[in-house]
Amino acid sequence: MDAIATILPTFLAAEPAGAHAPGAQVGSGPPWAILIPLLPLLASALCGVCAMLRVKSKAPAFIVVAMLGASFLATAAVWLQGGGPGPMAGASVAHGWDWIQFAWGDGPGQALIANFSLYLDSLTLLWMLFVTGLATLIALYASEYMSHDVGQGYNRFFAYFALFVFAMSCLVMGDNLLMLFLGWEGVGLCSYLLIGYFYKKPSAVAAAKKAFIVNRIGDLGLVLGVFTTFVTFGTIEYAPLFEMVGAGVDGSGHALHGSWQATWIPIFFMIGAFGKSAQLPLYVWLPDAMEGPTPVSALIHAATMVTAGVYLIARMYPIFLLDDAHTALTIVAWTGALTALLAATIGMAQFDIKRIMAYSTVSQLGYMFAGLGVLTTTGAAFHVFTHAFFKATLFLCCGAVMHGFAGQLDLRKLSGVAFMKGWGVVGVAMLVGCLNLAGFPFTAGYFSKDMILAETFVTPGSVIGGASMVGWILLLTAGLTAYYTFRVFFRVFVGPQMYEPGEEHGHAPHRHDHGPGHPPGHGEHDLADARDQAQKDEPGGAHPHGHDFHPHAPGLAINAVLAILAVASVLAALTYFIHKPDHGWVGAMVHHSTAHFGGLDAHHGDEAAHASHGSFLGLDPHKAMYYVSAVIGMVGIFVAWLLHYRGRTGAAVAPADRLLGALGPIPRWAQQKWFVDELYDFVIVKPLWALSNVFHVIDKLIVDGLVNLAGLTPRGLGAGLRPSQNGLLHSYAAGMAGGIVFILLVVWAVS
Amino acid sequence: MLLATLLIPVVAALAVAAAPADQARRIAGAGSLAFFGATLILGAMFDWSRSAEFQMASWFALSAGEGGVTVGLAVDGVSTMLILLTGLLAPLCVFGSFTAVSDRPRTFFAWLIALQAPMAGVFMARDIITFYFCFEFTLIPMFVLIALFGSSNRRAASVKFFLYTFTGSMMTLAGLVYIVWFNATRLAPDGAGAGAWTFAIDTLMRASRSMSGSEQAWVLLAMMAGFAVKTPLFPVHTWLPLAHTEAPTAGSVVLAGVLLKLGTYGLYRFVLPFVPEAVVAWAPLIGVICVIGILYAGLICWVQRDVKKLVAYSSVSHLGFCVLGLFALNAVGSAGSVLYMINHGLSTGALFFCIGMIYERYHTRSMQELGGLAARMPVWAFFMVFFTLSSVGLPGLNGFIGEIMCLMGAFQSGATWGVGGTSGPLGPWFGGVAATGMIVSAIYLLYMVGKVVFGPLKEPHGHGGAHGHGHGHAKDAGAHGALPVDLSKREIAVLTPLAALCLVLGLYPVIALRPLEAPVAANLAAVEAVRSVVAPAEALAGVEAEGAGR
Repeated sequence: MDAIATILPTFLAAEPAGAHAPGAQVGSGPPWAILIPLLPLLASALCGVCAMLRVKSKAPAFIVVAMLGASFLATAAVWLQGGGPGPMAGASVAHGWDWIQFAWGDGPGQALIANFSLYLDSLTLLWMLFVTGLATLIALYASEYMSHDVGQGYNRFFAYFALFVFAMSCLVMGDNLLMLFLGWEGVGLCSYLLIGYFYKKPSAVAAAKKAFIVNRIGDLGLVLGVFTTFVTFGTIEYAPLFEMVGAGVDGSGHALHGSWQATWIPIFFMIGAFGKSAQLPLYVWLPDAMEGPTPVSALIHAATMVTAGVYLIARMYPIFLLDDAHTALTIVAWTGALTALLAATIGMAQFDIKRIMAYSTVSQLGYMFAGLGVLTTTGAAFHVFTHAFFKATLFLCCGAVMHGFAGQLDLRKLSGVAFMKGWGVVGVAMLVGCLNLAGFPFTAGYFSKDMILAETFVTPGSVIGGASMVGWILLLTAGLTAYYTFRVFFRVFVGPQMYEPGEEHGHAPHRHDHGPGHPPGHGEHDLADARDQAQKDEPGGAHPHGHDFHPHAPGLAINAVLAILAVASVLAALTYFIHKPDHGWVGAMVHHSTAHFGGLDAHHGDEAAHASHGSFLGLDPHKAMYYVSAVIGMVGIFVAWLLHYRGRTGAAVAPADRLLGALGPIPRWAQQKWFVDELYDFVIVKPLWALSNVFHVIDKLIVDGLVNLAGLTPRGLGAGLRPSQNGLLHSYAAGMAGGIVFILLVVWAVS
Repeated sequence: MLLATLLIPVVAALAVAAAPADQARRIAGAGSLAFFGATLILGAMFDWSRSAEFQMASWFALSAGEGGVTVGLAVDGVSTMLILLTGLLAPLCVFGSFTAVSDRPRTFFAWLIALQAPMAGVFMARDIITFYFCFEFTLIPMFVLIALFGSSNRRAASVKFFLYTFTGSMMTLAGLVYIVWFNATRLAPDGAGAGAWTFAIDTLMRASRSMSGSEQAWVLLAMMAGFAVKTPLFPVHTWLPLAHTEAPTAGSVVLAGVLLKLGTYGLYRFVLPFVPEAVVAWAPLIGVICVIGILYAGLICWVQRDVKKLVAYSSVSHLGFCVLGLFALNAVGSAGSVLYMINHGLSTGALFFCIGMIYERYHTRSMQELGGLAARMPVWAFFMVFFTLSSVGLPGLNGFIGEIMCLMGAFQSGATWGVGGTSGPLGPWFGGVAATGMIVSAIYLLYMVGKVVFGPLKEPHGHGGAHGHGHGHAKDAGAHGALPVDLSKREIAVLTPLAALCLVLGLYPVIALRPLEAPVAANLAAVEAVRSVVAPAEALAGVEAEGAGR
């Protein structure tokens, strides 16, 4: 790797850095940092080569794991070289190559510059460490999980997977907003391709399309934010940008406080973040994204890509703080809280365990946004960090179940999985994940969630309107979260052992995510035929107790990854206790970046600072929250135990069912996701479709009709000239040439 | 050099016509490669460090004396780029049509090759006679290609194409002739061409700027009539979907790749520098038309059933971005617009190739009959998705750079509240509303990909099926050998250069952006002068002096 590290920069350095060097205050970083994004790109290209050569082995998986591992090491090396294992001091820019450079003058703001350069500071590295680290582990997991697709989509899967890591590193590491946008759209693309990985399945194709289009709505906000930023500051490169923002001035030196840009630039960025991070009203794509293979759900739709919105806001935090009224941050806080609550209510009523995890992701992202909104970037980033580990664990456990039970995900058809032979690791990992998600005391998720909850009560309502109300909503949601998390655990992983295999059982093994481990060669016939056959064979789609079905316990790769992730989820809690003055290691990383929020006293003067300790029912929120959220979490778990474990004798029924009648139609509505998709369809999609049809008719009848009408008028005239319209091309050509000669002659004669 | 480049296709076309029919493909292939080679040499000879200057100028007097007809050729950075695009597409079109055309190959390939000369000529022309002659002469080969080698409704499509664009460009001619007349009769002789009968673009450009505001407006209208139809701009676009659907694949590729660019090139080369006062006054209206066109045509794409018609309508939507950037009247917008011309040529041209390959195999382009072809043709699916993404404007591929610069140009135009803004007639609203076109294009293009490439496999009756080997049915039997299920090596070779260029221009666009800085600034000088100073005449004089100093 060192050899590459020395050769590559010399190759790249051949291109001069250009006249527009980044701001002088920011030093230049190690040029080999560019390997962090380039290694995954190389891996993706190699997988493409494998696809071309029709490689029928696990080679692409090994390439990707190795390259991503190297990328992780490179990230760690950059971090350690920059002053790790603590935070790095300041920021540096590592120039890759010139990407977009266009100048129309020499003055400020008269050149559009967006290089392929990396902005290296603690925030970047915090994100990159867990992105590359988790990606490596999940690729390893996927090498086993996707093994049924070897020789089918295996090469394609890993090409997309590595491409995703490349795009994500561009997003996080780019030193300008257009490179961020490159990564932003790039991860969207990979998400699109991977959700639609089973491209023969209409639902997967529809989900992929929906994800891309809903994200594009958010992207529109981001683009407008980029444009407004450029016009205001005359640059979109972070180094000079943050310098100006730090001084509170725009590109021509005018103060920005109180300007409309200070309000609107954050709002535009916020819209972009809502799309990518699945917040209200743009969250609808994420649950559908579960059509993708589970490793993808774990990496892209839980741990990394969906946190891009959090990253964007954290990265741009200085701009958000320019607005004295905190309009955007207030919206962010409230949207986060409402998204958290809404998604939790839907998650409570779902039966598909992967969907439950999806809604819990939306809900937890809501917490992160609420954290950003109530001025705790540290809390938000810490929750991103812990969530990345425990949510990846949860998804991969669900994936293992799905893999082993022929695609079964219905919690009414599985029970006691943890105690079946070979499922011990999955059971323990699942428990660790669930405890984290539920906020059980002293887990990582508990500390990070607490930090956000406490801060909602610290931040005065005069700064972020209704901050404490946000806190109450989040507290309620914490209880719901604990309940639905352990509903899954008590139903699926403990209790009497029984199962029904999923609908993939008996199908061609390569058709779906995870065939049940039939020997290959069983399903060489045409895929479409296999599906038809399967439908004929299995009208009911399920086998009672799987008389000819044996669960397929996870193998070494899956178990090893789950074990590592479970341990990492636990250890993530320890980071809270190092760098204690900064609220943990993550806090230290955030505090030494532009995402650092200087505190209310710096921001609002002494008066606000005095009032800023806030109160939670008269107590110090920081201290009280440890107890309050612990109790709420445990109550949620207890209720789940009461309703879904105690006295449960079968998989399909639980004591909770008795309560359903009392709640009327509410559980059904929640299960139907409160009809939000239907609402969007009715309010947006259908009218737009109708409008498009109207336009099409207008185009045919009116726009074109008028032309045809105009064309008809001379037809009468044309009757006389018909002999010349003989349809012979030579005569047309001759006529035209003659006409031109005639015009020339006239001109010549006049002169 | 320039004349030689123009003559190669003419000679090649004659050779194809004269040679025996079974040699047509070979000669056409060699001729198109020679033409491409010539454009490459031209690009290499061009001094890119002086890309604003017209280089390799050559003038041929066809008649002597004042008012004599001359042919003037020269190229600047912008025209060289467009000529390179023309050169690249020529051999691809020829090789891409090897199996598609079995009937009368001599006629087809002769006209296809012949078409290259006037297209390149438009980009080289430095006098309006040459320009107009080439501009109009592109119609005839295209007309033949559609009328003789098109689909079922080819007759109507070709006639409509011809009459519609011809009518429009007659008006353009009237506008140009008016400028000639104005220069000769209304201006005092200055020894540099004014006050005399001349067709030289440089002279006429200076002359037309001294026309009154209302004269400029009329000339603008006349020029727009031709160029807007050619582009095509909403609401004069309806010939395009018809022509595209009926044209043979190579015809569609050339039509989308180069012919439409003649319109936008005309706007860039003639409208902006010739009638700056009128342009500044009318740009907001044109901007509104562009924005409407982007969204209107984009939504219409969504409800199409014919893949080719969908892509055809998407051209209308896409070129709305291109013209919007142009009428932002600032450097970013103009450069974005020029890049858009090139990028649209690459990616939409490639999309038409992809669709043609499907049509050759299935003889249908209906999305109701086709579906999930990725299962049958993974290589084809890769290219189709790739070019679709380029068309959607995915960053990292070529389409993005042009699109974002056009939008940004529109956005910053007139945004004088910030240091990154420029003076200009449009503003954030134009850029912002047009940017919703990004969403619309994602909707219709992914809808198309979702139907045709992904989803359950669906093939027309009598094709494909479980046997999955070839489609050697009666219909295909006449074609040159049966095509393989997935793309043949020849087809891959046609698409690969386009894909590679999309990638290069997406990841390293500075190679195109840096050479555009100077020509774009020079082209905008007149507009800048009108805008920035109260007394336009003096400002123009200043700009000329500055231009001379460059």
